[in-house]
Amino acid sequence: MGPHGSLVSVVAVGLSDYLPILLMAVLAIVFAVASLGASALLRPRRPNRPKLSAYESGNDPVRLPGGERFSVKFYVVAMLFIIFDIETIFLFPWAVTFRQLGLFGLIEMAIFIALVFVAYVYIWKKGGLDWSATPPELMDDEDSDEPAAAGEVSLGAR
Amino acid sequence: MDWLDWLLLVARIVLVFFGLLISVLLYIWFERKVIADLQTRKGPMRAGPRGILVTLADGIKLFFKEGIVPTNADRRVYLLAPVLAMFPGFLAFSTIPFGTGTTLFGRKIPFQLVDLDIGILWVLAMTSIAVYGVVLAGWASGSNYPLLGAVRSTAQMISYEVAMGLSLVAVLMYSGHLSFSEIVAAQDRVWNVVPMFPAFVVYLICGIAETNRPPFDLAEAETELVAGFHTEYSGITFAMFFLGEYVSTVTVAAIGVTLFLGGWRGPAPDFLPALWPFLWFLLKVTLVIYLFVLIRGTLPRVRYDRLMAFGWKVLIPFGLVWVLITGAIVVLPAELELDRGTVLTWAAIALGATLLLSFLPIGRSQRREEVPR
Repeated sequence: MGPHGSLVSVVAVGLSDYLPILLMAVLAIVFAVASLGASALLRPRRPNRPKLSAYESGNDPVRLPGGERFSVKFYVVAMLFIIFDIETIFLFPWAVTFRQLGLFGLIEMAIFIALVFVAYVYIWKKGGLDWSATPPELMDDEDSDEPAAAGEVSLGAR
Repeated sequence: MDWLDWLLLVARIVLVFFGLLISVLLYIWFERKVIADLQTRKGPMRAGPRGILVTLADGIKLFFKEGIVPTNADRRVYLLAPVLAMFPGFLAFSTIPFGTGTTLFGRKIPFQLVDLDIGILWVLAMTSIAVYGVVLAGWASGSNYPLLGAVRSTAQMISYEVAMGLSLVAVLMYSGHLSFSEIVAAQDRVWNVVPMFPAFVVYLICGIAETNRPPFDLAEAETELVAGFHTEYSGITFAMFFLGEYVSTVTVAAIGVTLFLGGWRGPAPDFLPALWPFLWFLLKVTLVIYLFVLIRGTLPRVRYDRLMAFGWKVLIPFGLVWVLITGAIVVLPAELELDRGTVLTWAAIALGATLLLSFLPIGRSQRREEVPR
């Protein structure tokens, strides 16, 4: 690229960094598809109904009660992940430049992390990070061995 | 680029690809041997000298096994998932420098497929894509155990990804670069593992959890979920999940070596200067993998609620505080003309306080749960 490199050539040079990765992806996918195809040609194919049914320890397959629904905890985790992952992404540009930003950047980021921590403590207190089915405030000492068992059930259908 | 450049590029890619495949073959043999040693067994002995070809034999066997697509399965997604699970490990490895490079036919050959400016972000992106293989496999199988295993393992992978990101931010702040070759270059005097030891520990834990390795292999807790998300897979598609998992583990080890253990750095004699960095890299990756295998062989599987509690209540706050401490250690001495000792003392106090705070609540809930029945 000469001193008068146009936008197009800048983009082209930038993308050429990714050429080896593209080739690697092509090679990996060709390898995968070729081995799938070759195996499909060479392996035996003797299907029967029990063999093709969903695995359920030898019983007739039963759908999960309530269809394909699972514990709401997983949705909570997904939402929390988005919040905290975006927070981490915000940290990256700061982490690259924070030597130039100096004390200002550090205090700024301390405030940002402190704010996130407030939300974090709120989530924790609300029980958003707990996997026991019973919220902690409803739990008394009699069923003190409940959380583990209830947690297992909540991984199944609710 | 003329034809020689193209040829060399393609040769490098093919070499890295098959190098990774061979490393997986050796890794599985190595793992089985080490675990056999831990359990005073002999492990694989039949195929090849000391059973070194056992993985190849397994692969060939799986290749000729009948592949089953269950009746309830979504056929296209079901066949797509193993491919999706396989290739992120290869792509993530493409950015890792595994040596200084050499000169061949008057051209410089770097021992690294591509030196991306955004190396760390690229690796994070690839670990995110690996989740798709798991979740699609579980969903497309049309069966209960795979679905539950996939949902579990997705929650686990995304939870530990946050903490992994935080540990990488700390490294990034310390070295000031996103590109792996710059990070290795910045470790010429002290490896990052010394100043960044807590981040290294967080990274290793998250790396094991990300790749679904024991003791975090909740996705395939046999006693609860048969084999987790790949219960319905057999033959070559199963082999691909296996391959993907091990390639990812090798990649996680290689990234850990690059970020924390000085990459290819090590003492090198004058004889064959291109060879030694590569050997050092191999040695370090092997040691990290040995650590993974030892952890697998000695620790029991973690219970799911404790796994999630550990990720969210210990690793994430710890990672955040460590990022702030790193910032303080790097910025404060220069800005406020404090001496390094004062800053380090306060940093140690803050770190200790966080550790204490993050372990206290877990200790409480354990006491409550462990009342004898």
